[in-house]
Amino acid sequence: MKMSNMHSEQLCVNMGPQHPSTHGVLYLDLRLDGEEVVDCITHIGYLHRSMEKIAENRTYTQFIPFTDRLDYVASMNNNLAYVLAVEKLLNLDVPERAKYIRVIVAELNRIASHLLAIGTFAQDLGAFATPLFYCFREREKVIEIFDEVCGNRLTYNYMRIGGVQFDLPEGIDRRIKDFIKYMRPKINDYEGLLTNNPIFLERTKNIGILSKETAINYSITGPNLRASGVQWDLRKDEPYLVYDKFEFAIPTGKNGDMWDRYRVRMDELSQSLKIIEQAIAGIPEAQATVKAGRMIKPAAGEVYFRAESPRGELGFYIVSDGSVNPYRLKIRAPSFSNLAVLRELVKGVKVADVVGILGSLDILMGEIDR
Amino acid sequence: MKNYFKRLIFGPIDLIKGLIVTFRNLITPAITLQYPTQKQAMTQRYRGLIDLYPVKCIMCSQCVKICPTNCLALTHKEGPDKKKELESFKYKMELCCFCGLCAQVCPTAALYMNKIYEIATSNRKELEINLLNPDKYAEWAHPTVR
Ligand code: SF4
Ligand code: SF4
Repeated sequence: MKMSNMHSEQLCVNMGPQHPSTHGVLYLDLRLDGEEVVDCITHIGYLHRSMEKIAENRTYTQFIPFTDRLDYVASMNNNLAYVLAVEKLLNLDVPERAKYIRVIVAELNRIASHLLAIGTFAQDLGAFATPLFYCFREREKVIEIFDEVCGNRLTYNYMRIGGVQFDLPEGIDRRIKDFIKYMRPKINDYEGLLTNNPIFLERTKNIGILSKETAINYSITGPNLRASGVQWDLRKDEPYLVYDKFEFAIPTGKNGDMWDRYRVRMDELSQSLKIIEQAIAGIPEAQATVKAGRMIKPAAGEVYFRAESPRGELGFYIVSDGSVNPYRLKIRAPSFSNLAVLRELVKGVKVADVVGILGSLDILMGEIDR
Repeated sequence: MKNYFKRLIFGPIDLIKGLIVTFRNLITPAITLQYPTQKQAMTQRYRGLIDLYPVKCIMCSQCVKICPTNCLALTHKEGPDKKKELESFKYKMELCCFCGLCAQVCPTAALYMNKIYEIATSNRKELEINLLNPDKYAEWAHPTVR
């Protein structure tokens, strides 16, 4: 038989919805030609809880605990973006101390989130358990600090419209400082474990390249965008809270491959530590909350506010009709756009790299499905 | 070609670097807690189950109103000396998201959150709690409960 008469069929592989490396319930419909991925169709919606609709039936304060459940790895940042949006709607200014506290907890949560991203990414590539559990060990320290600050380990519900729920507890600054001291050498540990590890390099260098243009066209944000070489960080470019008072760099990558995305997250760890250090040093002694009133009733109008969450630009669009409930609330979740580009990235790669590319994008289904 | 030799030489060095990290961690003490036998004390602000001091409650219903999942319900009646009296105070634990909003708005701190966290049960009825019953959490007694 002549070769030209032979034809092979595409193989359809259903990856997910229950798959250890889809970071939640994501269903990928992979079309393979041998080892190579020809197409990848993403099916989402397995975690849909109609958050946006729920918001229409809740008061502004009541919706804060729901934002915890969007991106449950970084709920402080979700809380923060939401309350900042409502405060913008209300034209409310929060006390300086509350701003500092918010920066500290948001950056701590960014560290916890990036640690999880790096750990699971390494595990997706086959570095089984070791880096993941090292990252979990450090993340546990952050979670313990949060447990002390707000009484919960994952769904913090700490931000309030007009400030924070409680002031920082006594002696927590000591603990945070200790954590910074503890964390710095640990970053070097990860560098030793992963950064130049030849196996890790082989699996990540020049794979899943996201070009600058594609990234912008797909409105990718966060570390994924910065890894493609675009210097865009809302903390610097549209400073909110007191971020403009701190000195920190925005790490960027060059090629936009998996390794660069990993590299950017690693660099952001140390930048976040730097911000926390400055915030702890500069935190003023004052009241941490203003009373926004029990029933929050913003004037009719609309507002869009975006903040930099660990995964990118997290935006809340709120339409108010002057009642106690939002008329409409739309969440712009960074992971949603970051996942959309997956199809472009996996075309032509080997099937084993799909898991790695997905891990390097650091998506979170809670936020995509809402 | 150049790259190939570079990798051949530096690759093992970097591998060994990684191994040094793991070996250094090998000799550090274990940090995991052997859970059922060892238990961590809960923090001061820990948000466990909802609990109530019935005498402090002024029946203002603020906790009921703020609850985002509607899991609290209270009724009151007129007592013998024309004073309001709590009749029932139900807490549907399966709906609670432990957000702590109710404890925060309570003006008299009658409602608070205790430190119970081992709350698994095989009977769904047990999740509907009568907050006026003083022994409501007896089954879930825990060393860190105050
Ligand atoms: S903790 Fe939250 S969900 Fe639970 S009863 Fe209180 S307000 Fe309701
Ligand atoms: S808010 Fe406090 S005082 Fe008011 S009804 Fe609830 S428990 Fe009672």
